[in-house]
Amino acid sequence: MNRSGGVRTVLTSLAPALTLVAAVLLFWVIAPDRPLGLLDVRTILIQTVIVATVGLGMTLVIASGGIDLSVGSAVALSGVVAAKVMNADLGPDAAPWQPALALIAACGAGALCGAYNGLLHTLLGLPAFIVTLGTLGFYRGAAKWISDSSPVYAKAGWLSEWVAPIPSIPWLVVAPAVWLMLALAFGAAILMHRTVFGRHAVAIGSNEEAARRAGVPVRWVKLRVYAICGLCVGLAGVLQFARLGGSGDPTVQVGLELRAIAAVVIGGASLTGGVASIFGTLCGALLMALLDNRSTALGWPNYVQELLVGHIIIAAVALDRIRGRRLS
Amino acid sequence: MVSCAAVLLASSGCEKPADKKPETAGGGTPASLRIAVVPKGTTHEYWQSIHAGAKQAERELQGVEITFRGPQKEDDRDQQVSLVETLVSSRYDAIVLAPLDSRALLAPVKLAAAAKIPVVIMDSGLDGKVGEDFVSYIATDNKAGGAMAGKKLGELMGGKGKVLLLRYQEGSASTALREEGFVEAIRGFPGIELIDPKRYAGATRETAQQAAENLLTTNSDIGGVFCPNESSTYGMLLALRARNMAGKVPFIGFDSARELVDALAAGEVSALTVQNPIRMGYLAVKAAVDHLRGQPVEPLMDTGVALITKDTMNTPEHKNLLSPDLKSLLGTP
Repeated sequence: MNRSGGVRTVLTSLAPALTLVAAVLLFWVIAPDRPLGLLDVRTILIQTVIVATVGLGMTLVIASGGIDLSVGSAVALSGVVAAKVMNADLGPDAAPWQPALALIAACGAGALCGAYNGLLHTLLGLPAFIVTLGTLGFYRGAAKWISDSSPVYAKAGWLSEWVAPIPSIPWLVVAPAVWLMLALAFGAAILMHRTVFGRHAVAIGSNEEAARRAGVPVRWVKLRVYAICGLCVGLAGVLQFARLGGSGDPTVQVGLELRAIAAVVIGGASLTGGVASIFGTLCGALLMALLDNRSTALGWPNYVQELLVGHIIIAAVALDRIRGRRLS
Repeated sequence: MVSCAAVLLASSGCEKPADKKPETAGGGTPASLRIAVVPKGTTHEYWQSIHAGAKQAERELQGVEITFRGPQKEDDRDQQVSLVETLVSSRYDAIVLAPLDSRALLAPVKLAAAAKIPVVIMDSGLDGKVGEDFVSYIATDNKAGGAMAGKKLGELMGGKGKVLLLRYQEGSASTALREEGFVEAIRGFPGIELIDPKRYAGATRETAQQAAENLLTTNSDIGGVFCPNESSTYGMLLALRARNMAGKVPFIGFDSARELVDALAAGEVSALTVQNPIRMGYLAVKAAVDHLRGQPVEPLMDTGVALITKDTMNTPEHKNLLSPDLKSLLGTP
């Protein structure tokens, strides 16, 4: 790769961040009397956490050439699992560590959902789109089943501290869950770009047949990709449980899959696989939360935001196409 | 990724001075109060009526600006939590909220209280303290509505016979209160026997129809029927029609819908107990404005229910409750 190509690569990888900065500046120009305050930034960040955490897993899945439509349902299911664990009577001394148990159980439930997706996809050889379209209904049904179709109320314990927009420890500035998300993103970026497993996943997304011939254990890698995505989903589920003030709501996050995919695509990923960026996904999720915040601050009706986000996704994909043509 | 947060933080820092810019709306009048009205969803007629009431308050009270914004997806608790947080950070002057969940919305309402943004709760309760977490709670007195229906039904039945109650759904607080009020009122008629097999209509018209048919099969000798919400009333109406009992048995329902209004006109439904969402939207916004302007506000307000019969359904007041002209109320062409 020559030097100018390298510069272009850097620019394209920064495109989502530049879009985000441009959006912040644009809103500043449109409405100088309604600036972004510290509380705005805090709420934008905490509202990004669930989409972004799921988006991290989705980035890996999309990089490997797959898709996971079941994430919204699996978040609801993991949230209900967390609530059930919190409601279990484990004696009077359980209070400090019961939330940790709920966290582990929810992550486990999410990882199981992901692994089940991966198993169906690899063992039956069915397209991921179809498999996860099926499990989208299945996990939602399971969530309603174990919750008896109504929210399961429980105490969130210290988990509620994680998602409070204004943290109780002032020097954290933003909610602990935001820092957790950033740390996870850092880990996911290393996993994707610096490990054999990550490179294998991206290689499968670029050209599955070539990867197979080169000796990549395609099925095993894919199975792990979906399970890791599920782990992220389970974590998002427990955060969702906490954000609802300690309720496991089986009906929550219908359509999360589309927002997570939108974040990944706005972040510069190609839906055909092989190209994806953790950093880009974070920017994509932040951009959508920013739009949400600003359209509320400016008093726009709900539909204006939908019109806008729709076209941002289209623009992102259009850019991806143009880029693809240049490279080829 | 850290840089993203940094950009947001930095931009917030450099924009701070704009905060202090005096906001005037021409002619030196003080800036209008921005009141956010948050329903459970934006498309149902009930919430459109709330919107219409809020708009009415906006027109009547000078210097008020209403923003009607629901969760992006109907009935999504997470999005309503996010929405209230954003309204707080956007520094709306007050928030009027119909909480989707009595627990989940408590944290964002407390966030508003901490930011000194008054919140008025309407339609459904919140597990907080009135006067501390929120200013006022404005809703239908559902128990009184049920009692009103029970009294009327008892009179229509001449104080004797069997009366059938089709309940709505387990765990639904508002309809449970209506049922409770109804049962208490019926106890005031010693000659009436209450048939209450604790059967629930379920969420939709279809499930209600099925439950109603089953009940009518085992109780064919009934002299009166009460249902506590729109879908159960409609399901019961279909079942009564199928058995050729519609119009022959006194039947009181709750809430309004076009089909139910037609059935009322045809004499198939004896009376409909209706809430007043327009008044609810109006009073909630007025309470928020009064509070902001330093006037005392009642901590609890009942927006009232009305019992509408065929004879009264064409009076202007009742007509407006049954089928309000939302388009003109909302000021849309």
